Amino acid sequence: MAKTYDYLFKLLLIGDSGVGKTSILFRFSEDAFNISFISTIGIDFKIRTIDLDGKKVKLQIWDTAGQERFRTITTAYYRGSMGIMLVYDVTNEKSFENIKNWIRNIEENASADVEKMILGNKCDLEAKRQVSKERGEQLAVEYQIKFIETSAKDSLNVESAFYTLARDIKAKMEKKQEASNPAGARSGAHQIRANEQQRKPTSWLSRCSLL
Amino acid sequence: MQVHLWIRIALFERQLAKIIEHLVNNANRYYERDALVADPDYGSILSSLLVGPCALEYSKAKAPACFWTDPPADELVQRHRMSAGTTTPPSVRRPILNFKRSLNASSDDGASSNTGTGKAAGSSAKDYVESLHQNSTATLLYGKNNVRVQPKDVEEPMPGYLSLHQTAAGLVIKWTPNQLMNGYAESEGIDKSVYWAMSLQVCVWEVVYVHVHWSQASDALILVGQDGVQRPPIHFPKGGHLLSFLSNLETGLLPHGQLDPPLWSQRGTGKVFGRGKARRRPLPSLCESGETEEPEWEETAGDYVFRIVNNAIADREAMRHSLLERAVQSPPRTPRRPLASTSTTSSDSSTMSVDCPPSAGINGHPPLTPIPHQPVEQAASIELVCSTMRRQIISRAFYGWLAYCRHLSTVRTHLSGLVHPIIVPRENAEGGLTDERWLAMTDESGAVHDKDEVYRLVYYGGVQHDIRRHVWPYLLGYYEFGSTAEERAEQDAACRRQYETTMSEWLCVEAIVRQRDREATAASIARLTEASGKLKPTDNNDTSEVFEDDCSVISDNPPIVSPEPSENEQRRPDKPVLSRAPSIDEVDNIEMDSERDKETKQNGETENGDNRDVDVDSLKDLDEDVHLKSVVDNPDMRRESIAEIKRLAEEIVQKGDGRGLLCSVDSAHVNGTGSDFRSSIDESQPSPHQQHTSVIITNPSVDLAAGGSPASGGTTAQVSPARSPLGVVREESQSAGASFDTLEPADRNAQDNRSNCVSPASSNGGVYSNELVESFALNLHRIEKDVQRCDRNYPFFTDENLDKLRNIMCTYVWEHLETGYMQGMCDLAAPLLVMMREEAHAHALFNSLMRRATDNFPSGQAMDAHFADMRSLIQILDCELYELMHAHGDYTHFYFCYRWFLLDFKRELLYQDVFAAWELIWAARHVASEHMVLFIALALLETYRDVILANTMDFTDIIKFFNEMAERHDASAVLSLARDLVLQVQTLIENK
Repeated sequence: MAKTYDYLFKLLLIGDSGVGKTSILFRFSEDAFNISFISTIGIDFKIRTIDLDGKKVKLQIWDTAGQERFRTITTAYYRGSMGIMLVYDVTNEKSFENIKNWIRNIEENASADVEKMILGNKCDLEAKRQVSKERGEQLAVEYQIKFIETSAKDSLNVESAFYTLARDIKAKMEKKQEASNPAGARSGAHQIRANEQQRKPTSWLSRCSLL
Repeated sequence: MQVHLWIRIALFERQLAKIIEHLVNNANRYYERDALVADPDYGSILSSLLVGPCALEYSKAKAPACFWTDPPADELVQRHRMSAGTTTPPSVRRPILNFKRSLNASSDDGASSNTGTGKAAGSSAKDYVESLHQNSTATLLYGKNNVRVQPKDVEEPMPGYLSLHQTAAGLVIKWTPNQLMNGYAESEGIDKSVYWAMSLQVCVWEVVYVHVHWSQASDALILVGQDGVQRPPIHFPKGGHLLSFLSNLETGLLPHGQLDPPLWSQRGTGKVFGRGKARRRPLPSLCESGETEEPEWEETAGDYVFRIVNNAIADREAMRHSLLERAVQSPPRTPRRPLASTSTTSSDSSTMSVDCPPSAGINGHPPLTPIPHQPVEQAASIELVCSTMRRQIISRAFYGWLAYCRHLSTVRTHLSGLVHPIIVPRENAEGGLTDERWLAMTDESGAVHDKDEVYRLVYYGGVQHDIRRHVWPYLLGYYEFGSTAEERAEQDAACRRQYETTMSEWLCVEAIVRQRDREATAASIARLTEASGKLKPTDNNDTSEVFEDDCSVISDNPPIVSPEPSENEQRRPDKPVLSRAPSIDEVDNIEMDSERDKETKQNGETENGDNRDVDVDSLKDLDEDVHLKSVVDNPDMRRESIAEIKRLAEEIVQKGDGRGLLCSVDSAHVNGTGSDFRSSIDESQPSPHQQHTSVIITNPSVDLAAGGSPASGGTTAQVSPARSPLGVVREESQSAGASFDTLEPADRNAQDNRSNCVSPASSNGGVYSNELVESFALNLHRIEKDVQRCDRNYPFFTDENLDKLRNIMCTYVWEHLETGYMQGMCDLAAPLLVMMREEAHAHALFNSLMRRATDNFPSGQAMDAHFADMRSLIQILDCELYELMHAHGDYTHFYFCYRWFLLDFKRELLYQDVFAAWELIWAARHVASEHMVLFIALALLETYRDVILANTMDFTDIIKFFNEMAERHDASAVLSLARDLVLQVQTLIENK
């Protein structure tokens, strides 16, 4: 199939079972929410192409099973991923505590320069909250990872979380590219731009104007 | 720009077309007479043009590119259905074993040629369908449905979809019969290859003239190629469609090509195209071909001829000229008859001849690329071709034979273990195991003896739904074949007893866990509200053990902690549990002699020496208690509803005091009378809640037993009445050491578990039991998370039934605490519960099911073995697919099959189909293969192999595809294909 994107980023969602990884993914890819998501078995992924500073970025987001037993499978996906979302549930203290274990897991299995981000999900359930936002922020500061509280149900911050992560990956990538090949990266980007512009005039709008 | 914002909003809301339509209809009110919108033609064109854009969804921020590049699985299957000439399943269309092409040629000539052309045609058909969609390589310029074309061999012009595409090479006109466009709808069984032969694809750069015939009935368009041959006329419906097609064509030709004369220049001179009476004279060079249409010529109201001029490609131009010259220079070529014949053949070659494999050999059929004119063949060259072919055939035959021999040896080594060597015949088994057959097989005592027949019937035909409930226990090996009705009833009763026993055990633990959770939740919420932004770093730090964390929380928390500050100071940090007892006292002080408790606690804390004395007391109390219970209890108690037990258990726990006492009694007792190990087990084992309650007051700290024990005397009596239903458990072990040994194995298991915990407890106050509770708590939380979201869209799973499911899970996990709960178990238990309805029964079947399935979970080794087997099976049965997989990188892990194997396809199929699939898997163990799952997996893969191959899916694509296809498969076809595959392998091995 033809390549219609400028970048392909592989992202990974990890965290304890039931924190809402699948819901977050579903919210982001389909913009919908379903209260009765079934537990994820094995591995699944969804795709969404986003526009980031004029570049088409295809996000391939892998959703994993939460239970540690299945780590043998999920860790196989750590290596290829460029960004990892660590998800915990603000109404579940344990899932927050386990973020540290997940980070350790990443350090052991993922590539060293993988971009990370912590999401405190279910922040709509204020009444059941067990983990304060401050604790989340503190943990994030401790590990120097970006942090945001989200709600897949209320569609709060899910978009911005993925955009932020994608932007960070892109920035890191371009920095690397420029460092290794300053001229090439530039011209390559321009070329893609030019192609895009050529394609555009054939849309229905332009033809319609002929009448 | 602000003024035009409404346009954008209207477009977003999909209302723009309606608004404009209204404006057009009422143009005289809003517009001047000369305005564009007021014009009857332009106005309506404008409003109808907007219908398309308004059909699109703009509110979603999705890049359109992802629709082109990643069509969802449904779309892929639909496209495939359109492009696949025949809708027969692949196993029928393909030869049994799809070896290398060379092998096919020798072993199965007819089939191989089919496969060969089938593949080519299939892939081109796929491209064709793909190309009808707007995609990144080709822009759709124009599309119109119900455009009629009369293909050869067809009486009447047929309606179809006409489209104009701009590709990199140039413009392409396509016409596809309606029969092909409606991929799903009708004509499932009809061979579509006929229609593929009819579909039309004309490259505009090969067209020189466009004839337009304007008549009353319809507007026809005839394209004339470089070779002077006409394409079949294309009849547009009335109403300006031909005009808009031509205008799109003209636009598409730009900048390198143009229509001559230009379409719009006529308008410039004031003549409205299509309406004017003026008849354009055909260009002189066209006279010849023009004459061929003489009859129509007379009838039409207007005719126009356009020449397509292409300035860009010089050599093409030159070629066209030479062709034209030839056509002009050859007067003997009489236009009428011969032209008609050539026209059919050459148009045939230029149309996309996508014959999907009909049975007749179409070897000589020209491939997709149009051949302008065929050279005349010489006799000598035919001879040459023949000899080459002969040589090729012989060499192919040899290599085929060679490959076949090698192949078979691989088959023997790899596959012989996967299937049974004996092929069980299929006769009369299609109907499956029906009610009547089942009844006929049951003798007067209710026993079914002929197990082979049962397995055979189930394997080939499944079980009638009404009797599944009765047959499944046999299939899963829970009932023995040949057992009488009474024996089974007994078995059921015993099983239920045992289930309830086990359940009452864990329900007590659950109650403790609940209590803990409540406390933990309260604590963290309290901390959250209290701290209000002020973080205590200590809380964050030691998070590895929840229990300690909890305790520290409690002791930190003024409202719950015991009031005496002196005690707080005295207390060392490593035994915060002590603080809990008083805290609970505070809550429940109605029943509690709190003063005494505090006193005794202080005692216990300060001196351990007291222990002995108190032990005796507590032991006495305990004995009384037990005695009391055994009197109250009778066998009927056992059947007391589980819910009751549960309620009571929770009650007990809520009375924190009682719990405290009991356990302290327990541990103290162990300490004191530790000499008799057996008795200590007996005492502690019967009432698990004692055990676990001990956890609550007991704490990792050793002196705990001392702390709690003195309190025991006062409160045991209070608690005992509440506990009486739990005496069920107690009674059993009360019946003493001897009976303990004879307990059923599952129970035994749990007891072993506990006795392990207890014995060390004698030395240090219940550290292990703490672990037990913690591990059960962990499992419980996982189970609840999964049960709550298990198949909620299936109406069966109401709260009540989810509770049952939860109980089954907890009971199983309690019996197998060392493995614990693993995600997916819920999914496996759910269909069993749906079928059996009754908890204990479903649990028993689940137990049997798990005996095989445990190995699939990460703790076992079966999954890797499955992947390896899949690999060999695909390699041998479908090497084309194997090569694709191999080419796309790391296929050592067939992770897309992971869920299939783990859950026996439970998530891939709908419930009704899951039942059938499971029966097949269970019966197959005795009929055909121990590893039926492999063949079902293979059948799934084979069902979509063409889609996978056509889209050259890589590993991730396949995962996505199958995850999206879940619950959409045609299960009966897949299952019967799976049986066929088993048979194929069996025959292959048999015929070595």
